[in-house]
Amino acid sequence: MINEIDLTEVLARSVGSRHRDLVTRSTGAKVRGGIEEALTGRLAGDPVVLNFSAVRVLDCSCADEVVAKLLLEHAIGAEGQAVCFVIRGLTETHAEEIDHVLRRRRLALVAEEVGQRPRLLGEVTPSAAAAWDVLATRGSAGEEEIALALALPALETRRALDALVAAGVVRLSAGRYLPLTAA
Amino acid sequence: MTYVIEVPQILDERSFDQFAAAFAEADDATRVLVDAHATSWASPAGLIGLLCAGQALVARGGPKPLLTAPADKEVTHYWARAGFFAHAADLFEVHGSVPRVKPNPERNVLLEVTPVTVADDVHTVVGKLQERSAAILTSELSLDPKATMGFGMALSEACQNIVEHAGTGGWVAVQTYNWRNIGRKVVVIAVADAGVGFRQTLEATQANRFGDRWGDATALEAALIQGVSRFRDEGRGQGLAGIRRWLDRWHGKISIRSGTARIAIIPDWEKDDEALRDGLPAFPGSQVQLVVPAVEREAR
Repeated sequence: MINEIDLTEVLARSVGSRHRDLVTRSTGAKVRGGIEEALTGRLAGDPVVLNFSAVRVLDCSCADEVVAKLLLEHAIGAEGQAVCFVIRGLTETHAEEIDHVLRRRRLALVAEEVGQRPRLLGEVTPSAAAAWDVLATRGSAGEEEIALALALPALETRRALDALVAAGVVRLSAGRYLPLTAA
Repeated sequence: MTYVIEVPQILDERSFDQFAAAFAEADDATRVLVDAHATSWASPAGLIGLLCAGQALVARGGPKPLLTAPADKEVTHYWARAGFFAHAADLFEVHGSVPRVKPNPERNVLLEVTPVTVADDVHTVVGKLQERSAAILTSELSLDPKATMGFGMALSEACQNIVEHAGTGGWVAVQTYNWRNIGRKVVVIAVADAGVGFRQTLEATQANRFGDRWGDATALEAALIQGVSRFRDEGRGQGLAGIRRWLDRWHGKISIRSGTARIAIIPDWEKDDEALRDGLPAFPGSQVQLVVPAVEREAR
C-alpha cells in the first residue's frame, strides 16, 4: 500500500483555493502544513508519494516552501525516524523548479513516473550521482558491484552509497542498495 | 500652485526617465497635474508607471492629484479596455473624456491592469493568465508550450516582490505587441509599485558589505546578479533567479528600475539598451519589465 498525497487536494484543504497553481511562499507554507497533517495517518516505513499531476503552475518560492522545507524537516532526521518522499506527476517545468530549489539547499529527492526509470532531482556528489545511475538502471546492486561498475575505490563507493542513503533516496536491504521508489 | 508633469507622447521604458524627471521636480508642489493629453501610446509598464506616480502623490498627502486623459479617443478607449482608468480613478481626479467601458481585454491584452497587494492576488493573476494566454502565446508568438508553463512561474515571482518587499500595493499588466526595432512580436509582463524599492529592502543585510558603494545600483546588482535576499534563509532569493533562468531559455529580457538606477539583462536581439544606469531621476518603488520575443521563423 502506498501513502500518496495529492497536492491539489492539500491546496484546496489548506487554502480553500479553487486554483491548481502552487504559487507564493505563504501558500507553500500552508500546503506544507497540510502535508504534515496528512503524514500523521501514514503507514510507517513506506515512502510518501507527493503527487503533482493536477498541479498547473509551480513557482520557485512555493517549491522551496513545500518540497525543500519538507525534506529539511522530515527526510533528514534522527536515524531510522526519517520520512522518505518520492515525487510523481511532474511536468518538465515542475521538475526544473524543484531540482533548482533542492540544489540551492543541497538536498535530493526521487522523482518517478509510471513506466519510467526513477530519476534524481537536486544535488548529490558526482560519485553518488554515478552510483544512483547504476542503481536506477539495475533496480538494485551490492556495494562491490557498484564499485566495479564505476571503477571506484571501495571507500569512495561506500561514501557515495552512504550519502544516497542519508539523503533518503536509496535504501539498504539485505546487503543490497535499492533506489527509493513507491512501486 | 499646480505643478504640471507632462507625460511623453510615447510612454515606454525609454521615455520613462523623462516622466520620472518631471515627477521628481514636483516634490514640493501643493497640487500636481499629470498631463497625458498628448500621449498617443503607453506600454503596459508606462500605464502602471502612471499609477505608481499617482500612488506616490497620494501617499504624500495633500490634494488628490489631477490626471488629464489622452485627447485621442482611440487612445482613451484602449487605456480603458486595458483596465487603466478603473484604477486611475482611485488615485487621480481624472479630467477629459473617459469612455465608460468595462475592462475587456483585446486579444493583445493578456492581462488588464490588475492590482497586487496580497498573496491571494498573485493566485488570481496567475490563474487568469494561464487560462487566457496559453493559446495566444503558442499560436501568435510560436512559443513552446513549455515557455507558457514557465510564464506563470515568472509572473508569480515578479508579483511576489510586491507582496513581500514593497510595503504597499502595486500593479501588473501583460500585453503582446510589436517590439520597436526587431520586427517581431513580444509578450511583455510589467509589474510595478511605489513602495520602498530594492535599496531599502536590502539595506539591513547588504549595505555593510558594499560600504561606500551602497546605493540603488548596487542593490539592484545584488538582487538580480548575485541573487541575494533580505532574509538569511539560504532558500530565499530564488524568485529573480527563476525568472532569469526562464528568460535565458527563451531569449528574453529583464529590466528593473528602482530609485535612481536601472539594471537590465539584455539578449542579442536588443540593440538599444544598457546593462546598468545610475544617477537617473528618482522614482519611488520598483518597476520590473520582462520581455519574451516570438520565436523567429527560419527562412525557407
